[in-house]
Amino acid sequence: MNINELIGISSSFSVYKIISYILPALALWLLARCLRSMLSHKAEPELWGALTDSSGTKYPIKHWDCVIGRAASADIVLPDTSVARTHATLSRTDEGIWRLKNLGPRESTKLNGKVVSEVSEIKSGDKIKINKRVYTFRPLSETGRAKLELKRTPAGFFVSSGLTLMILTLFQGFLVVGLTEKAPNDVSINILLSFSGLIFLEWLFYLLMRLMRRSGFEPEIIAFFLSGLGLFVVASSTPNDLFKALIIIVTGAVGFLFLGWWLRGSDRTTSLRWLAAAVSVAVLVGCALFGTEIYGAKNWFFIGGISVQPSEFVKLAYVYTGAATLDKLFSRRNLITFIAFSAICVISLTLMGDFGTAVIFFGTFLVIAFMRSGSFATVFLAISGAAIASFLVLTIKPYIAKRFATWGNVWSDVWGAGFQQTKAISAVASGGLLGKGPGNGSVKRVFAADTDMVFSMLAEELGLIVAIVAVLAVIALGVFAARNAALGRSTYFAIAGCAAADMMMIQMSLNVFGTLDILPFTGVTFPFVSKGGSSLLACWLLLAFVKATDTRRDASFVVKAPVSPEVFYESTGEAGK
Amino acid sequence: MKKVMQRAATSLLLAALIIAGLSFFVFRLAKNGGDWSSYFSRRAPVGEITDRQGVKLYLSDGNEYSFADDLQTRLSCYQLIGDLNGAVGTAALRNFRSELSNYSFIKGAPVASTLRLTIDTKLQKAAHAALGGRDGSVMLLNYKTGEILCMVSNPTQDPMNLSATPAEGTYLNKCINAVYTPGSVFKLLTLGAAIENIPGITEKTFSCSGMSVVGGAELNCSGTHGNQTLKDALKNSCNVAFSEITLQLGSSKLDEYAKKAGFTVGTKISGIDTKAGSLGNIEPDSIGLAWAGIGQHEDQITPFSMLKYVSAIANDGAAVTAKLKTDENSKAKPEEILKPQTAVLIKEMMQYNVEAAYGTWRFPDIGICAKTGTAETGTGSSHSWFTGFAGSEQYPIAFVVLAENAGAGAGAAAEIASYVLRALVE
Repeated sequence: MNINELIGISSSFSVYKIISYILPALALWLLARCLRSMLSHKAEPELWGALTDSSGTKYPIKHWDCVIGRAASADIVLPDTSVARTHATLSRTDEGIWRLKNLGPRESTKLNGKVVSEVSEIKSGDKIKINKRVYTFRPLSETGRAKLELKRTPAGFFVSSGLTLMILTLFQGFLVVGLTEKAPNDVSINILLSFSGLIFLEWLFYLLMRLMRRSGFEPEIIAFFLSGLGLFVVASSTPNDLFKALIIIVTGAVGFLFLGWWLRGSDRTTSLRWLAAAVSVAVLVGCALFGTEIYGAKNWFFIGGISVQPSEFVKLAYVYTGAATLDKLFSRRNLITFIAFSAICVISLTLMGDFGTAVIFFGTFLVIAFMRSGSFATVFLAISGAAIASFLVLTIKPYIAKRFATWGNVWSDVWGAGFQQTKAISAVASGGLLGKGPGNGSVKRVFAADTDMVFSMLAEELGLIVAIVAVLAVIALGVFAARNAALGRSTYFAIAGCAAADMMMIQMSLNVFGTLDILPFTGVTFPFVSKGGSSLLACWLLLAFVKATDTRRDASFVVKAPVSPEVFYESTGEAGK
Repeated sequence: MKKVMQRAATSLLLAALIIAGLSFFVFRLAKNGGDWSSYFSRRAPVGEITDRQGVKLYLSDGNEYSFADDLQTRLSCYQLIGDLNGAVGTAALRNFRSELSNYSFIKGAPVASTLRLTIDTKLQKAAHAALGGRDGSVMLLNYKTGEILCMVSNPTQDPMNLSATPAEGTYLNKCINAVYTPGSVFKLLTLGAAIENIPGITEKTFSCSGMSVVGGAELNCSGTHGNQTLKDALKNSCNVAFSEITLQLGSSKLDEYAKKAGFTVGTKISGIDTKAGSLGNIEPDSIGLAWAGIGQHEDQITPFSMLKYVSAIANDGAAVTAKLKTDENSKAKPEEILKPQTAVLIKEMMQYNVEAAYGTWRFPDIGICAKTGTAETGTGSSHSWFTGFAGSEQYPIAFVVLAENAGAGAGAAAEIASYVLRALVE
């Protein structure tokens, strides 16, 4: 043993020393560019049409889902005291069909003289009579829409996503340099090949998006950044699984594209909601009854030699089902069905012993329930209900409490129940801000370091800065979804996007703060980064919901462009900006 | 839509909570990072300790550790380096942790570093071999630079193969952390104090009839020395002469010089505590004082404090701060214990000791100046002391040897010193 070999840092020249500065710098630069592009984008509302009253006053329609009413919180505010606070809803499908629904007193809304009882289709020029006044409905034509769209700033106009992807490529390239520094030759080749595959995938993805005339690419870059960190984790801990990990990323990206395409049709989307819910319930209950127990949680199925964690995919179905269209938002029955569905999910997961995922579902339930009802009482009720239920469970089965007995004081039982976490915390501390260098850590030898405690692996080998950038990257998705809701077209996507992003944030909090002994250690994965098949796939699919909220011009492939721009340019002779 | 967008703020709330949680962790990390990062290498701190030539004495990467490759080195350095149980309180592994692995919030930890000691493994092994099975200690120091070259204590054990029932005193670095009756080596201190405080003492003649009576009590001498000069009194290690000098000097002066020389105060060597000695109850004109001046009575000192005093004699009266780490730059000025002319006088007398009494032939030719001590322990046996220094420019080395229950100083201790000094000049 030689001291220089041992630590690699004290020698006068070392690749690690250089890389340890470059990696955090690139990560910060990447995050800064993504944040700037995603969050500093000017809020430019879309315009879909207008209601015009008899005096000629226009009330613009800015979303696909609008509440018409007297209340300031309505989307189309009618200053008429005889109008109810929320009087009617006006919704558009992705095919361009508009529908009107009465929410006010019976027979108080009339369409072309007829009482609107259920949902009625409404066409350009139709007259809506609310109480005594009449409004003419005029949606924008496709070409009018396209004209307006050209006036909005395209995504990536100020922050080029190509350069951001270049930074990511550099970041991953330096990861490879660091990882291969001391790895045996055959492992080095595997690392090189798998990272090349990832970088190729990224650029292929980018080209595909450019071909679709999309320039907003940041959520995907964040996902690729985090997946790259995941690939790094595999390369450092279990390099034999590198190709498997790469295949999962490729599958995830393809699944993301497919789900994104699927979400383009909102009717298609909503039609399968109850099927998804039914399948989810069947799978979860089946899992609770017949699943295979791995490391204390009975949440695995073996299908043809491949182990699958169905609860990961149920997360997806949960968001898919949980989000509601505007017309369903005001239906109590709809909410009650959703609450029942949530209860089944959470109870099944608890029975399986997968408390972490149960908490993720419950947290997401709170988010969806609040976004749907806007009622703090509902949230409060749900939390109290859960608290009582947990209390009952702990009284009946006190051994469950033992699993969390070390919470907050892992250092008092280092060589017992606190071993994993104290090792992890020690590793985080010893990594410093810049880390010991890729592949140089020791916490990876601890059980679950590459999954449940992956934050400690990142912090030890790449430093606290990169680890925190990873956390902030997930947060960026959440803030992005929240911001997009303001410019959103439909409530369904606003709720689904926020729910998906919040689900990832909750999951990440449980992972990071569980590892660091700030929250109980429940053993869940860090989105995109933790090693794993089902969880990584599920994250990529969840990302499609976040992407669906992005209504910036030329940003999301999930959101249809108003009209094929080439056709539009030809018809108007106007060149693009 | 508008309602839903407002409710989307829940995402922002979540984001804020996560950032708050992270900040909380970073705050805790800044506070506890050092403890956390070193927790799992607490027994075997990450880093390397070598001797002055770079010979490995200890190495750990946090998972695996090792001590010196060869058994004799491990045995001779046990109290110096310590073991993973932290049994030796004064050992490098207990005291130099922060130099081995540093934690910093920015760099993290443990960033291993190499700590190079001033110790010479060759001398360690020689001293261990010279002690043989005897309990005791050997210490060598460069009196110009303060570097400790050798610090060996017996009994010892192998840190790679710790004994369940180690011999008594194994955990003690007897060089710095054990006190002994000094016997006649103490006369060097009395001599220094006398030269500086009793005018004309160097011209005085002392008469010895084999014993004297102080305050009604008898004080016996090792021989009947008749009339002798001060120089011969030291050579003869005459108790009668030195008790007379002590009584004339008085208890407060003796006390003052014992403190000034560092016999009765603890100090630190590169941060490691050394034990303080004591003179006990020395009332003026008492038999106790008379005995104390010749290193008996209740005198208790560490071998290191003796070494420090002789290194001051060698270095014109000033003791350079002792150190164990090569990269240590002490800003402390050398401590002036004796006046330069006093130091020169004592040095000559110590040289005369060797020439006239101990035998120059027994030592390598590097101008050895020395003093023996045969400390009666009251149990019938006596500790054998030998201390001094080489006067040569090439070897500015001071030494102290203590062999427990080994009889006369001129015997066992002088032989051990001779053996180690030969290893030094080889």
